[in-house]
Amino acid sequence: MFGLANPDRFARFTRPLVPVLWGAAVVLLIVGTWLAFTAPEDYQQGDTVRIMFVHVPAASVGLMIYGALGVSSFFALVFRHPLADAAARAAALPGAAYTLLALVTGSLWGKPMWGAWWVWGDARLMSELILLLFYIGYMALRASIDDEAKAARAAAVLGLVGLINLPIVKFSVDWWNTLHQPASLIRSDGPSLAEGMLAPLLVMMGAYLVFFLAVWITAIRTEIVRRRVLSIRARKALEA
Amino acid sequence: MMLDFDMGKYAAYVWPAWGISAVVLAALAARALLAARRWSAQLKRLENDPDRPQAAQGAVGQEGPQGARRALGQEE
Repeated sequence: MFGLANPDRFARFTRPLVPVLWGAAVVLLIVGTWLAFTAPEDYQQGDTVRIMFVHVPAASVGLMIYGALGVSSFFALVFRHPLADAAARAAALPGAAYTLLALVTGSLWGKPMWGAWWVWGDARLMSELILLLFYIGYMALRASIDDEAKAARAAAVLGLVGLINLPIVKFSVDWWNTLHQPASLIRSDGPSLAEGMLAPLLVMMGAYLVFFLAVWITAIRTEIVRRRVLSIRARKALEA
Repeated sequence: MMLDFDMGKYAAYVWPAWGISAVVLAALAARALLAARRWSAQLKRLENDPDRPQAAQGAVGQEGPQGARRALGQEE
């Protein structure tokens, strides 16, 4: 496993994996969409429940992505490993996109159900917004420092600090009284969702996860290539 | 199981949620694949250059962070 930390070996290992991941993501997205629009409407929420099939996967995988960014940042900071840094950098944009999707689709779900697009002071909404700000801050920090090594170290520190927010996002609905509903999938007494809605939700969660893996691994491979290009250019400039 | 696309009075909320999700996922995929193609083409061009510096070649078998940096041509 740790042998894959070598960029050449990682590139060789993931070469056949990338098209498989892209193909699996497309298939899962199509199947998940089909299941989402054949599922029965909710007796209380009506057809708005179909927003759940894009909202919950974006939110939960967006949270997982930050976990990946934080762990990669730890290895980048402690071991100065360039592949760990590449992994953290490559996770930031899809993580921000998923979190933004969670907020936008949540808002579109909240308006007909709660009567409000946004509720300032709701712990789940605010912690999710803070998660988005951590992603944006991470990307902005990297972009604002010209020296890539310094940018990587500064961003890794920020990436690690942001890990504190993850349990707050996850358990905000348990720790505080929020308008947002409590967890209905990962519970000690099992999922509380109706069976007809559980299957499409799980398939869509799988689709979002596999789609992220496809984007992430493609972006890490690109980052390896980009660093080689920059390195060759720098050496050529030195030799000239 | 029949597909049901009639979202009734909630259509104004359901379709934008699905539409924005589709657009964002498509943009993520397009960006990742186009960037991969662009940087691979640049690397190929540089590798085919007869003046390419030799030290920037890969370093398979070099373990650890230092080996990884060497593989990327970032460290001698």
